[in-house]
Amino acid sequence: MAEPVPKPLVKIEPGRSPAAAQAVESYPVEEIADKARRGRDALYPFSDLDAYGRALLGADIARRDATRFSTLDELVLLPPIFTPRRLEAMEALGREPYFSDVSLETTIGGFRSRLPLTMASMGSTEAAHAAGAALGRGAAEAGIPMGLGENVATVWGYSTRSQARMPSFKERLFAYLDRIADDRGGVVIQQSVEDATDELWNQVYTDPDVEPFVRKGLIGFEVKLGQGAKPGLGGETKVSRDVARSLKGTYYFPEDPEALDRDLYERHSAPGTYTEAILRAQLRSLRNNFPRVRLWIKAGPFRDLLSLFRVAAQERIDAVLVDGKEGGTGMSPAIALKDLGLPALACLKRIADARVEGLRTPYVLSGRLYDGGHAVKALCLGATAVAFGRPFLIAARVGGEAGIRNFLESTAVEMRMLVSSLGKYRVADLASEDVGSLDRALADALNVPFVYA
Amino acid sequence: MQRVLRIQASLGTAIREYLDGQGFTELLPPIIGPVTDPGIRGAKQATINFYGREYKVMSSAILYKQMMAASLGRVYFFSPNVRLEPLETATTGRHLVEFVQVDVEEAGATLEDAMRRAEGLVAHVWEHAKTRLGDELAASGRTLNGASVPFRRLAYGEALEVLSKLGREVPYGVEIPWDDEELLSRQFREPFFIHDYPRGSRGFYDREDPDRPGMLRDFDLLYPEGYGEAISGAEREFEYAKVIARLRETGENPSKYEWYLDMLREGIPPSAGFGIGVERLTRFVCGLEAVWQARPYPKVAGVFSP
Repeated sequence: MAEPVPKPLVKIEPGRSPAAAQAVESYPVEEIADKARRGRDALYPFSDLDAYGRALLGADIARRDATRFSTLDELVLLPPIFTPRRLEAMEALGREPYFSDVSLETTIGGFRSRLPLTMASMGSTEAAHAAGAALGRGAAEAGIPMGLGENVATVWGYSTRSQARMPSFKERLFAYLDRIADDRGGVVIQQSVEDATDELWNQVYTDPDVEPFVRKGLIGFEVKLGQGAKPGLGGETKVSRDVARSLKGTYYFPEDPEALDRDLYERHSAPGTYTEAILRAQLRSLRNNFPRVRLWIKAGPFRDLLSLFRVAAQERIDAVLVDGKEGGTGMSPAIALKDLGLPALACLKRIADARVEGLRTPYVLSGRLYDGGHAVKALCLGATAVAFGRPFLIAARVGGEAGIRNFLESTAVEMRMLVSSLGKYRVADLASEDVGSLDRALADALNVPFVYA
Repeated sequence: MQRVLRIQASLGTAIREYLDGQGFTELLPPIIGPVTDPGIRGAKQATINFYGREYKVMSSAILYKQMMAASLGRVYFFSPNVRLEPLETATTGRHLVEFVQVDVEEAGATLEDAMRRAEGLVAHVWEHAKTRLGDELAASGRTLNGASVPFRRLAYGEALEVLSKLGREVPYGVEIPWDDEELLSRQFREPFFIHDYPRGSRGFYDREDPDRPGMLRDFDLLYPEGYGEAISGAEREFEYAKVIARLRETGENPSKYEWYLDMLREGIPPSAGFGIGVERLTRFVCGLEAVWQARPYPKVAGVFSP
């Protein structure tokens, strides 16, 4: 049996803060790890004898959920008996369709993708960065787009390693680009306020090694307007003293690494100041400066998401990723986890509203989404794709690239099964008719049936 | 080549003649500084290690000339600039990594003043080329059309309409892409202006029209016959609060521009000005295929050359 999944994957130390520990403890690590180990076999509780026995005895195989707000788990998918789309599929195939006939191939923000799924941007924090190479190779081989988070170049070096034990920005970038196949996927690169000081995007855009991939349309830049776990706050993490010293002038350190001797130092980056006019001008100047890359926006769970969606549509942004308050692996203050921002399901409601308004920008939803059910429900309500973060970290820790491959294979099978059960064979056909709510207030808000009514 | 360089030297003389005659003071150009112009369309700034701190090689000396105009009124310098351009610019015929622009700035001037000054300068150089360089140009088989003042003016929106009629759709809000600009320039036999670019399409220092939010008080002057951009100019933002908000368009922390912001906080007068690329002027006057033919030891994006 493979080794157990170590807790440090999730960067909050249990015990230090009860609220944070609760969020960590409730995460279905083992469930994801099992998929990463065993691929599609992990989809069935009875796939080995021992588990079969326990499942029969009534062991808890339900997904744990300790959050106090509504999640996508309060929605169910509603397969119908009468399935005109299945008839269409049957006509095309000349036989009864199976779940394996579902096409998951899609386009997300200008990139072709084998699944309606992206690897969420993971940045410079050590848990993500140390696994960076496996993450990049895994996503590239799976043919899905990958985000490359902020501060990586500033903290770990652009092409030369700032710390011998850690990869540089370009090593992470090319872990992906070197494995890209059939021009599926693409890399979306973030730039923090601090990265901007070093002109990261300009450096990427003028890099002869990256140029062929720019030309093929496989590079995007992602304007980060916040993240799920801490909307309105900048990036927070902890770094060692030598790292802190080298970054002292660029980030905010409450404790001076020159003057005080500590194991770790809090490192804060600025959230960035925006008005609608500033954002619009910034997006335009990005289009001007980097006409050959895709432009994505990553938004945190802000109350004015719909206004942002309108600006993004007017400025022809390639995709907007919306990260619900459950999202983010970095060091977030427990009070932020508890009290800041909209849950992912509330973000999905804004996406559904945007569709009603006729906005056509691709939206990618993230925030504690980790299985095919979450993905299909999000798509039913208007998302173009979903982004997973932590599941990939767990899968990479369990089995490296193979872990990611297995995890994605099982997730893809889950999606195919669910989509086909709805009598549909293309993800584009999913609609709000396919989903119902277990809660009446939620049903009203999302304009979907209350299943008990 | 020798002929091109002789013509270039003579064009430089004509530029100085005109500006000196208008009461401008020529200053020595700063080459390095803690910050430089971030509004350089995808190019990367060149950096040097300045005693342990990173300094920038001027991508343009815009920030300095604004301050110098505050002190001396009418100023200009022949400013060497370095921009590590994206590789795609290697074949546009219009981009050099190292080039010289004549940076002109005038305190108290408006957009209209700057456009007239640019027009006057180009018309003077044009006349100089026709009367004093006629033989050299004839020997290269180059004939210059007229340059009758005032030059034609197109608002940005009108320029997009012209392009649209030619089958090129440029989305509102972006600077006109190079190949579209070339096509537009081919429609004209004499130099012409494009003015009033929308906010976001240009550098943070181009002033937003207080009466028309979202619209900048700026312009380009374009050569005809497909040669494209000659001059970029504008009235400048000079009020601290406006500049700090505009600076966010670059996505940077304004603290980086500390010295500049300190000056603005103390207060500087409004000004307007422009820059004219010397190699592009030479290319146009001589009718050269590419701008790299218009200077000694040219540096083109990604090409290793002496």
